[in-house]
Parts: sequence; structure tokens; C-alpha cells
Amino acid sequence: MSVLGESLVRTDAAGKLTGEARYTVDYDARDLLHGALLRSPVPAGRIKAIDTAAAESLPGVRCVVTARDVPDTLAGWVLRETPLFAGKQVRFEGEPLAGVAADTPEQAKAAIAAIKLDIAETEAVGDMKAALTENAPLVHPEWKSYQPTSGEDYPRYGNIASELVADNDDVDVAFQNADLIVEDEFTSNRQYQAYIEPKSAVGIYRDGRYTIHTGHQYPFNIRDRVAQYLAVRPSQVRVIGHSIGGGFGAKLDTGLEPYAAIMSKLAGGRPVKLVNNRTEDMLTCPSRENATMKIRSALDKQGNLLGRELICHMDNGAYSGEMAFMPSVIFHLAGSVYKVGNIRVIARLVYTNTAPTGAMRGVCGVYFSAFQERHMDHIADELGVDRREYRLNNLVKSGDSLLNGQVLDDADLLRKGFEKMEEAAPWKQQDKNKKNWHGIGIAAGTWITNSMPGSVQLKLNEDGSITVVTAATDNGSGAVSMGITQIVAEHFGLTADDIVVTMPDTDVAGYDGGSQGSRTTHIVGRAAGIAADELKGMIFDVAAGMLEAGKDDLEMVDGQVGVVGDPTSRMPLGDIATAATWSRGPLSASGSYTTEPVPFNPGCASGMLFPYFPTPTYHVHFAEVEVNPVTGNVRVVRYIVVQEVGRVINPAGVRGQIQGAVVQGIGHALYESLRIRGARYLERSLEAYRLPLAVDMPEVEIITMEHPHSLGPFGAKGVGEPAIILAPAVIACAVSDALGKPFNRIPVSPEEVLEAIVEKEKQG
Amino acid sequence: MELIFRVNGRSERLELQGHETLLDVLRNDLCLTGTKDGCREGECGACTVLVNGRAVDSCIYAAMAAYDADIETVEGLAKNAGLNSLQNAFAESGGVQCGFCTPGFLMMLTALLDKYPHPDRDLVRDALSGNICRCTGYAQIEEAVARHVEQRSGE
Amino acid sequence: MSQMPKQFISVSSQEEALAQLDAHGEELQILAGGTDLMVQLQQSGQRAQRLLHIENIPGLRNITCNGVTGIGALCTHRQIAESTSLDNYRSLRQAAAQVGGWQTQMVGTIGGNVVNASPAADTLPPLLIHNARVTLVSQSGGSRAVELGRFLLGRRQTDRRHDELVSGITLARRPERGRDCYIKVGRRSATEVAIVGLAACVTPGRDGRTLEDVRLAICSVCPMPKRLYEVEHLMQGEEISEALLEEAGEIMLKHIDPIDDVRASKRYRSMVAPRVLKHAIACCIENVSGDLRPWN
Ligand code: FES
Ligand code: FES
Repeated sequence: MSVLGESLVRTDAAGKLTGEARYTVDYDARDLLHGALLRSPVPAGRIKAIDTAAAESLPGVRCVVTARDVPDTLAGWVLRETPLFAGKQVRFEGEPLAGVAADTPEQAKAAIAAIKLDIAETEAVGDMKAALTENAPLVHPEWKSYQPTSGEDYPRYGNIASELVADNDDVDVAFQNADLIVEDEFTSNRQYQAYIEPKSAVGIYRDGRYTIHTGHQYPFNIRDRVAQYLAVRPSQVRVIGHSIGGGFGAKLDTGLEPYAAIMSKLAGGRPVKLVNNRTEDMLTCPSRENATMKIRSALDKQGNLLGRELICHMDNGAYSGEMAFMPSVIFHLAGSVYKVGNIRVIARLVYTNTAPTGAMRGVCGVYFSAFQERHMDHIADELGVDRREYRLNNLVKSGDSLLNGQVLDDADLLRKGFEKMEEAAPWKQQDKNKKNWHGIGIAAGTWITNSMPGSVQLKLNEDGSITVVTAATDNGSGAVSMGITQIVAEHFGLTADDIVVTMPDTDVAGYDGGSQGSRTTHIVGRAAGIAADELKGMIFDVAAGMLEAGKDDLEMVDGQVGVVGDPTSRMPLGDIATAATWSRGPLSASGSYTTEPVPFNPGCASGMLFPYFPTPTYHVHFAEVEVNPVTGNVRVVRYIVVQEVGRVINPAGVRGQIQGAVVQGIGHALYESLRIRGARYLERSLEAYRLPLAVDMPEVEIITMEHPHSLGPFGAKGVGEPAIILAPAVIACAVSDALGKPFNRIPVSPEEVLEAIVEKEKQG
Repeated sequence: MELIFRVNGRSERLELQGHETLLDVLRNDLCLTGTKDGCREGECGACTVLVNGRAVDSCIYAAMAAYDADIETVEGLAKNAGLNSLQNAFAESGGVQCGFCTPGFLMMLTALLDKYPHPDRDLVRDALSGNICRCTGYAQIEEAVARHVEQRSGE
Repeated sequence: MSQMPKQFISVSSQEEALAQLDAHGEELQILAGGTDLMVQLQQSGQRAQRLLHIENIPGLRNITCNGVTGIGALCTHRQIAESTSLDNYRSLRQAAAQVGGWQTQMVGTIGGNVVNASPAADTLPPLLIHNARVTLVSQSGGSRAVELGRFLLGRRQTDRRHDELVSGITLARRPERGRDCYIKVGRRSATEVAIVGLAACVTPGRDGRTLEDVRLAICSVCPMPKRLYEVEHLMQGEEISEALLEEAGEIMLKHIDPIDDVRASKRYRSMVAPRVLKHAIACCIENVSGDLRPWN
């Protein structure tokens, strides 16, 4: 009996359906204190004084903390540049300046209100254009003094937080020899992850160590970052995971955790809980960065691409977090779908006095694909050839390389994806039959399975069940509650009911790279397989003795071990476990895994912090939209995904990931946008920030292509992240098709659409 | 001020100041943390509970306004036998991912199904206009309702 | 020791409510469904308000249609959206079905919408085109009825005195052959604060070409929802034509004052409002709801 490919119910479903599941915000204790933060009201300024005397004497207040009370150090994922509390300089609206822990949330808020703040507001670098003008104020005047968290320093200067440059003299030659040059400029706005659970954290200081409760995508990163901020060894920080009310990349680095931790210490060890309200959460969330990109393509008469130039600017906000890696992602993406000839890529991450951005689901890929696919449509239009045909003619093939020299072994899956799509929605026919005000779009993409290491310990229990100890987190995706559970069950012929997976605890479980980049099922699943093989070996050892048979003559069937071909000899795992425990000791085994480094050419670009594109998967999307001629609103009427997944472990889970990702992508394509005016967000509540609702969303038609990966668990690769990357692309292409006018901004706004309609009407 | 009401069939008597929201009273005073706080502005629906059978956003509902009322929360759905039919349908259809929106969806749908036992898909979608799910993209939630309706009519 | 003010006063009869308002009207905020007030309180962080909870007053939840159509102040949006007795007031049912999500519609009341006088209140344009009158009662002054158009004084300002309670709304009889609709523009097709909301009631002439009677009201493009009398006058009795609709749009723009806000720009509002007007007139003539929600 196999559980692979079965839509088993996720193991945490019942708890979540009855209200029993505990999220961080539900944490309670008799001595719990409630924290609150004073956040900067201005985007840039010099702090002259923070007077906390009045706040300290208010009833119920147990501690007040500012930069003065914490170690004088800087922290950061890639670069140590971020203070816990701003002490001298404020760099974005919402930056923490002080914290209070009190007996009740009201008392904490009252104390925050009583802190007297004297800030001299300074000129804010409100956007990338301002940041890049000559003599612009520097967001970090002291940038030179910053140290990388590990390894060598990388290209960064002034308001440039990180820069990748790949150049090649032949690019200019290509443009000189071109018969046709097609040029575009694109922009996209910020997208807020908008998980329904605003961030929260509980910190407890006890016996000289910090314990942190948090529903977080990457507990070990919290451990390391808190240790940096509080200047202790990482092992002095223990992070305990809880159910996560959604993350989408926003819960990968620290949010409230170090504040809760330090306040607990200052309040004598009582647990301190911090909870963002929705506005705080929006103001400080590491949202998807806004970006601009100029693409120029040189073509010969036949439309072959001779060369391309691509200049991408990404808004980093005030502190870089993990963003310093991202210019490399642009570089890899640039050669991952279509052949591009000689290419120049300049990707810059730009500091501004705005909230730090971060890696939202499909980081860089979402806007990159939108830009690239719109550019492909533009070229096809210029050449007067069919948009789909043009893509097919330029697809990368198996054996072709990315720009870093990494060979794509299975890139032919892209072509196969187009074929599958053609079966579902024949392109020419769709185009011919589309109604008035309708438009169609097609797009292709390649995406990674993140390679960060993971580990698993399997313990065989005396009742025949298996406990999986891991710090892998289930952010809701089902990667643990379905993926890991089913993979472990499959190895032992057990059912999902026989598998218990622990919640993450950095004191107990081995290192895990967090729920990011669709890695958990692939990486941790593989680690589980390695552990399972070892544990099985131990089980057979013990069973061989009990059955008086040779180890090689044994088999494991449905959670029992017996001699091959003799069903009467079968012994339940529980009996074997019990025997083992009292003879040789309890049985357990561990496994670790990370993707082996891929050969690549390190000299191909400068600033390549993220050197290769591990375990790629391949994607083709199609959308049909309808434009409302009265309002300019756009509605998606049909959406099809062809996705290569390696191997489907749980079909309902895969469907949920794809549907959910596409809807987030449609949200960004049509409604979701954090706009910045004067270095401040315009959208500051869910009433202003429009999230997609059930009424407006199509049911996505999903076609999965299975192409088992030799090292993946039962062939599985990453699934959760990538279905978002092509949604804005196909929608922008489809709207452009509907109106015969280019839409080169994400989101596509009704205002822009209506302008195009009015123009069209005028032309008759 | 005294608040007397029934929550999931049990009588409760609490001393309040008067300005508290129903959400805070349920979560903080009664420790019924299944009802979630997602925005406190009536936008996300995570805090939906039933007040005398009507689905309300408890984050913008004054607790004192529930005086003498019957409140139902997600904790009251599962009976001794386990998950109820709607909850089961959610589990089987994959209508739950992170689960933070789930209690609100369940309560809104409970109110809807009470009034319209056989809602078509458009009605379900319309009724869910005040509930945001960021994870699922809604399809499997809609399917869960259909599954529940089907199973119930099969009984 | 001074007595703590009772912050939450719940009344179970109209008399009780009026007595409270008579004595403390100036300090009391009236709470019906609370869907608007509670959001405001949460956001402002204030809490010293004294709330007068009137949701449990019996008798204010009815929709009556003997001769005049009366809607009790405590009728909820959902109740109105689903009420077949309001079939003659399609625009009102449409509008009520689009106030927030169902949670808001299940507790939010029509009386609350009227008294809050939000510039974006969906139900007000339909009420305006149906010549609604607001009934106010007080302990000292008995009862009075005011035309809604006069009751609304400005952005979130009304003619209600502190001692008065809005008890209900009456609607004029819909013109015999009149057809009405409410068209709402938002980014999403539900749970939106209107970018523009327009209610129209059109009586086509018996000749099939002229417009016998036209009534229009709009929200979200001026400090308070209002009738568009100037546009109505232009169209009354005229033959329907592209040119007439164009001109109507232009006149409308002269009498509204759209602004930039987080939901839409002034430019977009100015572009879309005349189109919505055209769409609404066309829908009335064809006698379809014209709802921009996908399933309608
Ligand atoms: S928490 Fe009540 S609607 Fe979001
Ligand atoms: S399951 Fe996460 S928000 Fe709905």
C-alpha cells in the first residue's frame, strides 16, 4: 500500500479546523508581559533625544528599552548594517526606536505614548531615482565600515547595496550589427505578503539563555540573527516554532523576535509577547521590492536574438537583509528561458529611506518574468510573427547553459510544457475565438528548488510509530504535514497516522534552511530518505536476530518485517522497537542533505552572491482576460498552469500551492500595490491594500508534468513557490492583447486601462 | 459592567469596562483563541463568529452588544463525534493551509448554510466576500462547501 | 468619589433610547450594528465614548409596503438585499448587497448608513433617487420627517439633533414604468468602498425614444452623496442620443468634486463617472441590473 500520490488529509488539519492549533499570538502564560514598540514617525531624521522617564513611571510598566540598553552592534543576514533600535539616525518610517513591556497591552501602549521623542527630520531618499542622483544624501553614510556577515565583501557603494555586473564586448557588436533593436522600460510596485496572521513573537530570558516562541519560516535564521543583535553565541538562543499563519517570504528573517527577547531580559525574565497590528505589519514587512528594468534586444532580419542589454534596479529599502543576494537571481533568470545571445546584465540593489524589502514568493521572478514576457510580445509584434511561435523558436533546450555556465539538463521540458498547453488551449483557436474586450497571454518560466541544507532524525517508537524530529517548518504549504509525513510513511509502508512530526525547536533538531524556495519537500524529504535507509538497516539487524534469518532475506511490508515470501513470519515494527530498546538500545537514525554544488563559471559576473540555480523546474502559463469597457477593471476568465513538479506526493497539496500562488500573482497583477509617496506607504490598512477575493478569482486549470528527479525523494522537486512567477506576465500580456497597447507596469491599473480604452474610442 | 451571554451553549458572566470588542473578550477573557485577529478593521473575516446566528466580524462588534446573546465560535463546531461535516469537507478538500483564516470561513459558511442549505457556487463566493484567504486561492474552500452540501444531501 | 460614567448603555425600547438621548444626547454615540463606528473607534484608539446601543429596540426592523414603503432604521443591509418587498427598488437592493462583506451586511443598518453620512455610503444614492424621507423622533419634539437630501448637510454631517433618533426611512412610490439600478465602481467586485457609486431611475417615454423622467444620485465624488438635478433637467423629456449622454456626462462633471485618495485618483474618477452614467441609463432602458459584479 503506497501513500505516494494520495491526497491524504494534512496532519494539522483537525487542529486548525477546531481552533486548537496554537499560533504565536495565542501564546499565554500567567506571568506574560505585553510589549509594544515606538516606531519612527518620519522616514529619515537625526534622533536628538528619546526621553523615557515619564513612560517608566507609569503603572504596570516593567521595562523600557532603547538603543542605549542593548549591545552596541549591527546585525544582518548578508551585511551587518542593521541596529536593533535606531540610536542616532532613523532610516525608514516604522523603524523601532524604543520598546516597552507592561502588564497589559493598554499599559504598554500608554507608556509608548508617554515617550518623548525629539527627531530632526532630514531629507528622505524616497525612491530609487532620488537615491541614484548625483549628490543624493546617503542612506548609510557609514556604508564603508559595514562588514559582511560571512565571507568576502562584495560590490556595493554609496546608495548601492549590492551590484551584479556581467558584461561582454560582443554585446555592443551585436547592437552595431542588428537589423532591428527593440527597447522597453518596465516598472513594478511593491507587493505585501499579507499573510492573515500579523507578525508576533514571545521572548523569555531564563538561566542566561533566550527562548523564543515564533511561528516562523526559518527558526535557525532567527536563532542566528537574535544572537547577532544581542551579542551572544547562537547556541544561547533557542527558537521554538508554532503554527504559522502564512509567511510567503516575510517570515524568514527576524521581525519582533529580538525585541521580545531583550525586553524579557530587562523585565527580569518574564515572558514578553509582541504582536504587530496590521498597520505596523504593513509598514515594516519585508515586501516584494519595487523594481525597474530596461531591456534592449538586438535582432537580425530573421528575428534571431544577437544580443541583449538588461539594466535592473531593485529597491532595497533602508536595510538589506537577504536582498543582497538578489541581483544574482536577475542574472540567472536572464538566461533561463529564452536564448539571449550576447548579454549584458547590470542589476543593482538600491538603498532608499523606505521599509526594507525582502524575498516574497517568487522573488525577482515575478516582475522579471512580467518584463521579459512583455518584451517577447513586443519583439514578436515588431517582427510580425506569432507570439507563441516566437517563444518556441527561442526556447533554451536541454544541454544549453544559463549565463553562469550551469548546464540545464532538462530544459526541453519547456517545449513539452508548451505542447501540453496547446492540448488544453490551442493557441490559434483561442486567439481567433476570443470575444470583444478579451485578450490572451502565454508565458514560460524556469524556477529553482532552493538548495539550503536540512536534516531529519527518525525515531522508531515502541508502539510502531515513527517520530520525525526536524526543524523544517510548515508555513501552511503542507510540505511537512503532507510531504515529509507521506515520504516517511512510504519508506516504512506505514500510514500517515503512524508518523509524528515535531514542531521546530533549534535546541532539539538539526539545522534547517527554512521554508523558502520550495525546498522543504525536496531537501528535507531527501534527508528523511537517508535517515530511513539507515533506520531500516537497524530494524533489519534486530529483526534478523528475532526471526533467526539472514538480514538480506528480510523485507518490510506495510509496517511489518518478515522473511521474503513468508507472510506468517511478519513482525510488527512495534515489537522490533521494543526488543531493540531493551537489548541494544532505542532505534533512531538521522539524515542530512543539501543539493550538491552545480559546476558553474565564477568569472562570468561580478557580485554573484548566489552562484547557481539549483534543481530547476519548468513552467508554462496561459491566461485569458476580459476588460470592462466601463471601468477599465480586468477580470481573469481563464487560467491554465502547466507545471513540472518532479513527482506529485499529494495531489490536493500540489493543487493548493498552484491555485494559491496564481491567485497571489493575479492579486499583484491587478490590485496589490504598496505605493510610496514621500518615502511613506500610501496603503496602510487592508481596506486600502486590496487582496483578491473569492468572487474575482478563477479556478485555475492545472496540468502537472511528472519528471522524477534522481536525487529528490521519490523524484519530488519544489512545487510551492513557482506558480506565482508567471501570473503578472500572462495577465499583462493578455491585457495588452485585449487593447492593442503595451502595459508595462505591474500592477496593471484600471486607470491605465481606462486611458487606453478612451484612446481607442477616440480613434474609433 | 456585567456581560452575561452564552458561548457555545455555556453561560458566561464577565465583568467588563464596556468598550471591549467581542473578539478581545472571546480571546482574552474566555481563552477561546480559535477566533483569530487578522486586521481589526472588518476586512479579513478571520474573527467571524455567530451572534444569534448572524455572522459578525467580532473585531468590530462591541462585546456588550452581545448581552444575553448566543455566541458560537469555531470551538463549538466539533461535536463529541469529532469534526462536523463542514469541517471534514474542509480537511478532505484541502481547504486549509496555514489555517489562520479557517475559523472565520467556517463560521461565515455555517451562517450561510443555515439559511441556504444548497448554495450554488456564485452564492458561496458572494457570501465569502468578507473573508480573505491568502493561502488557498479559494478553489478548495469552495469545493469543500460543495462536498459538504453533497454529503449532507446524500444522508 | 465621582461615579464612573457607564460607557455602554443598552436600551430595549424606543422610549428608553429617547430618554437617554434627551438627558445625555451630546455625549452619546449611537451604536446600531457598529460596523462603521467600531472601525472608527478602533482606528482612533479612543475609548472614552459613551455608547448607546439601540440594536435591540423592537419594531425598527420591519420593511412595510402599505401605500408608502417604510424601512425601519435597524433593517440590515442583508435584509434589504434579500427583501422581495423591495423589488420596486432594485437599486437599493443592489447597493445594500454591496456594502462591505456579508458580515458587515448582516449587522450594518440602513439607519446607521444614513446617520453616518459617509461620502461613500452605497445606500444613499438609491435612497436619494427614490426621494427618501428620514423619520426622526425625540422625547421633546415628537416626530418629524425630513427629505434625505436636506438631512445630509456635509461630509459626515446631518441634520440630526443630539436628542433625536432616526427611526426609519420612507420611500416615494417608484414611477410606474420607472426602472432603476445602482452601479458601483471598485477595484474588486465586492467589499469595496465605492470609487464611484451611481443610482439611476429612468422612465422611458411611451414613444420608446424619449426619457420621460430621469433621476440620478451619486456618491464618492463629492463631500456627501447627492442628487444630480442639473443632469436630470438636461435629460428630462429629451430624446436619448449619444450626444445627450455626452452632454450629461459633461454637466455631471461640473457638479461633482472628485478627489485623489488611496482608492483612486481624481483623474480616474472623472473619467469613469460619465461612463457609469451612460451605463446606468442604458441598463435602465434595457431594464437590466447592470451590476458590475461578475455573476449578475
Ligand atoms: S480581524 Fe476582524 S475582520 Fe479582520
Ligand atoms: S489558509 Fe492561510 S489564509 Fe487561508
